[in-house]
Amino acid sequence: MIANNRLLFPKKEARLYMAFMYVTFISLFVGGLMGLLQTLVRSGKYTLPFNIDYYTILTVHGVILGLVLTTYFIIGFQFSLMGKTVGISDKQLKVAWLSFWVMIVGTIMTAVTILVGEASVLYTFYAPLRAHPAFYIGLALVIIGSWIAAFVNFRQLYVWKKAHKGQKSPLLAFMVTINMLMWFIASLGVASSVLIQFIPWSLGYAETINVLMSRTLFWYFGHPLVYFWLLPAYMAWYALIPRIIGGKLFSDSLARMSFILLLMFSIPVGFHHQLTEPGINPTWKFIQVVLTFMVVIPTLMTAFSIFATFETTGRKKGYTSLFGWFKKLPWKDVRFLAPFIGMVAFIPGGAGGIVNASHQMNALIHNTIWVTGHFHLTAATTVILTFFGIAYWLVPHLTGRRLTPKLNKLGIIQTFIWTIGMTIMSGAMHIQGLLGGPRRSNFSSYAGGEQVETWVHYQLAQAIGGSILFIAILLMVYLFIQLAFFAPRGVEEYPIAEEEADAEPTPKILENWYLWVGITIALILFAYTIPVFDILKHSPPGSAPFDWPIGR
Amino acid sequence: MTKGKLDPHQPDQKGASISLKGTFIAVMLLGVFILVSWFALYALFLSR
Repeated sequence: MIANNRLLFPKKEARLYMAFMYVTFISLFVGGLMGLLQTLVRSGKYTLPFNIDYYTILTVHGVILGLVLTTYFIIGFQFSLMGKTVGISDKQLKVAWLSFWVMIVGTIMTAVTILVGEASVLYTFYAPLRAHPAFYIGLALVIIGSWIAAFVNFRQLYVWKKAHKGQKSPLLAFMVTINMLMWFIASLGVASSVLIQFIPWSLGYAETINVLMSRTLFWYFGHPLVYFWLLPAYMAWYALIPRIIGGKLFSDSLARMSFILLLMFSIPVGFHHQLTEPGINPTWKFIQVVLTFMVVIPTLMTAFSIFATFETTGRKKGYTSLFGWFKKLPWKDVRFLAPFIGMVAFIPGGAGGIVNASHQMNALIHNTIWVTGHFHLTAATTVILTFFGIAYWLVPHLTGRRLTPKLNKLGIIQTFIWTIGMTIMSGAMHIQGLLGGPRRSNFSSYAGGEQVETWVHYQLAQAIGGSILFIAILLMVYLFIQLAFFAPRGVEEYPIAEEEADAEPTPKILENWYLWVGITIALILFAYTIPVFDILKHSPPGSAPFDWPIGR
Repeated sequence: MTKGKLDPHQPDQKGASISLKGTFIAVMLLGVFILVSWFALYALFLSR
């Protein structure tokens, strides 16, 4: 395995994985710029030029960063993991390229529709706001492209298993398969909503849309979406970071069990995003909140495993005091530092998530900018800093270059700038949210309302944080260009951790896909069947499309 | 934070004998942080 870590991919493979990376970092620049503009507008001290609509840039920001950047990075990174651990055949490579091009066509359709102001419906595209049909068709193509990628991954593992009868699958290939299974099962919801509800309605073939059903199908997908972002970060924490810090995998079985639990408990939980939705029976909201809280178990298992990896590695190096091992972690290695700060951000991020999912306390923060602050901690810090940490070795590994000490140092500076900017921005969002400041909306003094006075300074703080973050984005794009085109030639390690020589064998049941997928489907049917029938039977009349105040 | 000491004479410890005391304390502190933040916001909810 270690020798394999330094073996570069054949060029034709590396080209595919890099194609996904190019889109990722272009998206980072475009989406980040929109984020900067948003925070400036919301400070009340800046107006957008050329009559550009605030909701257009808000939609670009959400779609490009939340849907495009994440999906491209994840699929590219996961393809590389599969290529490294189970291999990819020429035929699979061709189909993988097909997935890339289908996603590209969809992305361009969606992006152009938003940019010309025909789809200012935000990334949640809640009905009855209506966008141009090209927006929905583009989104459907992105999802279909990602499904093609998922089935290539399934096929890669299947072929490997057939050739290695009786052997356990490589841990990272197992994790990729779990993530793509979750993505496929979850995105069936949003895909069916887009195909059956939104496209006919936006084309004028259907006069009305069932709003509650569309939102329910969106959140059936929307919550697992955040786990789709998070699981690749977990892959790095469990199976790559140990190698970077000079250690071994803590427990193969624990890592697999945690991923299985995340598969089971990520999907039947969408109602915790709809706790203020009037059309859903509170009993089913309660059941889904309980299922949501089950996710705490694999999350804490992950925290335990990370600390244990750090401690075990340190103690093996001879550090005997209680926390001496912590001090000796490779703090000057950006491949470790960036994901580590991501892990730290997940502590308040996760705690905030538990607050959001607690039914009554959700009323405190629902539709406030606290929620925006929350996912800028989880997605835009935990996930993104881990993705950056991965990019520092993945990009040079793919391009046959090296992360030089100078680039490493710049990476550390980038990580600190990001951390400072996000602490200011996300912190201000959390506080403003608790004071009742709304999310999503354009700047407004709300006719001089007294409450506005309590939060307006926090909006200025968000603009300062957003500006610092944009500097960090520029630096990251510079680092990517250096690593992709200009860094010196060489071999950067692909750091896959090994198991301990005396590790306990992994129980075979952990690879019983029928069992785990069966339980997942059973939980989804349990959590959704009755409420969905309720919605179908008792919904109020559907809504005609609205193109105003925002939309087309 | 306790200062780390490096003992070059200490042989590699085998998996079973490695102390995970630091991990135990860290995970407990994590749990306490979650509970404290939850109850703080619960108090805010009740006060409103």
